[in-house]
Amino acid sequence: MRHALILALPLAAGSLLAQARPDSTRPAAPAAPPVLSVPIPPAATLVAITNATIITASHGTIEKGIIVIRNGKISGVGKDLAVPAGAQVIDANGKYVMPGIIDAHSHSAAEAINEGSQSVTAQVRIQDVLREDGISLYRSLAGGVTTLNVLHGSANTIGGQNAVIKLRWGLPVDSLLFAGAPPGIKFALGENVRQTNVPQIPGRTPRYPRTRMGQEEVLRDAFTRAREYQAEWKAYETAKKAVKKGQLEPIPPARDLQLDALVEILEGKRLVHAHSYRSDEILMLLKVAKDFGFRIASLQHVLEGYKIADEIAAAGTGASTFADNWAYKLEAYDAIPHNAALMAERGVVVTINSDSDERARRLYQEAAKAMKYGGASEEEAIRMITLNAAKQLGVEKQTGSIDIGKDADLAIFSGHPFAPASRVEMTLIDGRVFFDRNKAPTLENLIEMLKRRPRPNTTSENGGIK
Amino acid sequence: MKRLLLSSGVVVFLAAPLAAQSPTARPPVRPTVYAITNATLVPVVGPRVPNGTVVIRDGKIAAAGAGVAVPAGATVIDGSGLFIYPGMIDSGTRLGLVEIGSVPGGQDTQELGQFNPQDDVLSAVNPHSEHVGITRANGVTSVITSAEGGLIQGTAALIDLDGWTPDEMAESGRVAMVMTYPRVGGGGRFGGGRFGGGQNQGDAAATQNRQVRELTEYLRNAKAYNERPNPVPQNLAYAALGPALRGEQPVVFDVQTEGQIRGALALADSFKLKLVLRGATEAWMLADTLAARRIPVIVGPTVSTPTGDAPYDAVYALGGVLAKAGVLIAFQTEDGGEGNSRNLPYNAALATAYGLDPDEALRSVTINPAKIWGVADKLGSIETGKVANLFVTTGDPLDVRTVVKHVFIRGVLMPWDDRHTRLYEKFRARPKP
Repeated sequence: MRHALILALPLAAGSLLAQARPDSTRPAAPAAPPVLSVPIPPAATLVAITNATIITASHGTIEKGIIVIRNGKISGVGKDLAVPAGAQVIDANGKYVMPGIIDAHSHSAAEAINEGSQSVTAQVRIQDVLREDGISLYRSLAGGVTTLNVLHGSANTIGGQNAVIKLRWGLPVDSLLFAGAPPGIKFALGENVRQTNVPQIPGRTPRYPRTRMGQEEVLRDAFTRAREYQAEWKAYETAKKAVKKGQLEPIPPARDLQLDALVEILEGKRLVHAHSYRSDEILMLLKVAKDFGFRIASLQHVLEGYKIADEIAAAGTGASTFADNWAYKLEAYDAIPHNAALMAERGVVVTINSDSDERARRLYQEAAKAMKYGGASEEEAIRMITLNAAKQLGVEKQTGSIDIGKDADLAIFSGHPFAPASRVEMTLIDGRVFFDRNKAPTLENLIEMLKRRPRPNTTSENGGIK
Repeated sequence: MKRLLLSSGVVVFLAAPLAAQSPTARPPVRPTVYAITNATLVPVVGPRVPNGTVVIRDGKIAAAGAGVAVPAGATVIDGSGLFIYPGMIDSGTRLGLVEIGSVPGGQDTQELGQFNPQDDVLSAVNPHSEHVGITRANGVTSVITSAEGGLIQGTAALIDLDGWTPDEMAESGRVAMVMTYPRVGGGGRFGGGRFGGGQNQGDAAATQNRQVRELTEYLRNAKAYNERPNPVPQNLAYAALGPALRGEQPVVFDVQTEGQIRGALALADSFKLKLVLRGATEAWMLADTLAARRIPVIVGPTVSTPTGDAPYDAVYALGGVLAKAGVLIAFQTEDGGEGNSRNLPYNAALATAYGLDPDEALRSVTINPAKIWGVADKLGSIETGKVANLFVTTGDPLDVRTVVKHVFIRGVLMPWDDRHTRLYEKFRARPKP
């Protein structure tokens, strides 16, 4: 329900903010300290995290281990490492360190979500509408998240180009972009594209497609056009090369930004992340992709993936799902919390994502549900929010596990990340501390601050009611 | 897999005639005497009992403790290595009213108009909703369910998650009257203005002031009506407010802001209401007052984001702040058909990570809500004579990794026949294509 609202009402954020202002009938409350005042952390060139239980996500768990970070990269991880001289030491005694959490499906940091006017909008880019100041970015950091796959919504069959970002809170917006992350794109199938859950405006012509059949047609038509466009350019390049001195240059084809993006998909240069729910529509998409010779990098939501796990595994396609949301739409009525574990059991690379500023704050809790339902191992469940997500986004050489050479993207927890009373103490990106619970504005701090303030002379105990 | 194993695992311990039953079918004759042996009992009102036994007879807890004898003829469940907890109680849901959120016919939560005290939610609870089975499968055995929208939503029901009819499910059919204190930007919860965007702050404040006046006047009229002997013509709506206005029935106020909380306190003072606050995200501003006045607070859902620029942990830390101040707290999930109610213990778990004592967190989903809803003599702990709503686990129910092995509601062992288990077992058995 809430999820559906996010997708359908991208403009709602403004009115929600407005609502959050204080009621006019109560006395003016002291202003909360702005979170924006958190200082930009300085970068340390040499850091050592000591005495930690290290959940590597790639090669098991190391007790009482040390992680050495040089210039933002992990330069050492293990049990018997020396702390280099001059290193800034973070004592993690009794604490757990895991790779920074990667949210494989997010809309945080995007100012606009859907370009829903047409069925195919491959030309639009999330990176053009990124904002660095959304409070949800900071709150996700406080939940141990370091990387987001910021996607368009699910309004159209072929949405727009995603942006993979790191939560470098406090730095200018361009510094959010994850350097070296392969470009991607959002597809969508099912009810949201059909616009079955939004009221039809009288007098307005409904947008094509209105059925799943129409969605297949839109895909095949788009990639047929893309192939023709690709062929035109190839013919042009060939002709251009064959031009002899004195001959006229051939006329280039008209540049089409939409088809450029689709050609990149055909050439395997752009990863497809496809919003999908039902098994039939997923099979349709896999068939279309096969016919046009490309791979779907990840199926998003994929709530009925467990019904066709073998087919998804055979296509080499990843699956990125919710832990246990269900029944918020008709196409979510067959969703089961065992989905992630069952798909993993059948060989699919599975991630658990948030698609929500709220769930992003506690993805570690969501991942543990894969252990509860369907019996995934602890390591598998950890990978579902780290290494597997890095694989789905094509950044597994840079991040997603605690290995030498990778970016030092880390979350330090007070206890085991899956234990009930654990919380994030510190989040590092590229070796830099972007969240530190000890320095963060907390409710406890706020209460203490208010107690220290002098009381006003008069109070209105009944909220202004006569 | 685990579910599959444990359904057959139960059979091992059942009497022979039951072993022939399909693992998901409900036996035609319910055994009335069970003994769960060798388990760690967590009564929540007293210390843990290692190697304890719980005897269940005729729907009640007949005995609980160490050294309790297994009665002859009892169906024995070996609880070695396992834990027994009292069934959890979710203090705010729409359970039974919503099947599929996006389908118009799948939601039955919101009546027209601002004042519907005469509406009894129990009449609209679907006992056969798929949500019932998936919720109890995680040890949530009872929930408060109520309507939404407007300023007075009608009565809430406390239901057990088993029963052939709504009346059978009801522990207390009219457990509380539910109201929403008006706030700026909308009437009741999800009322107008939330996504409207058209209303400026001045208009919104005027609307709120008008709604406060209307609510106050409505209660005043209802009070006058209920003080008249045999009023004619009868007004069913006013009459329905009688128990609440006489202080016999708690009034739940769904609120968020400090202003709403203060307003609800003032109304409760004026009309001598037995107040329970629910939601109350800014209750930390008034924690000492609420404790002094012994006003319980239903916290949550904890799985939500702070409003405005409140501290990042404001929602998580609220439960701990209130409990430390001495407020009696419980949790709600506000499950509106998304399947959140089964995650009730994880709402409490997030609070423990930010200051709530883990034992108090456990009480906040068991005995505390039983106290708040006036059923502490029947529910909320493992004590002799109480209703046998309990569940058997591999560990702490607040830990997501814990697996629930058996659930009893009113002494009946619940079958693993919920929609999710059915689909899982069906497709896990799908042959390779």
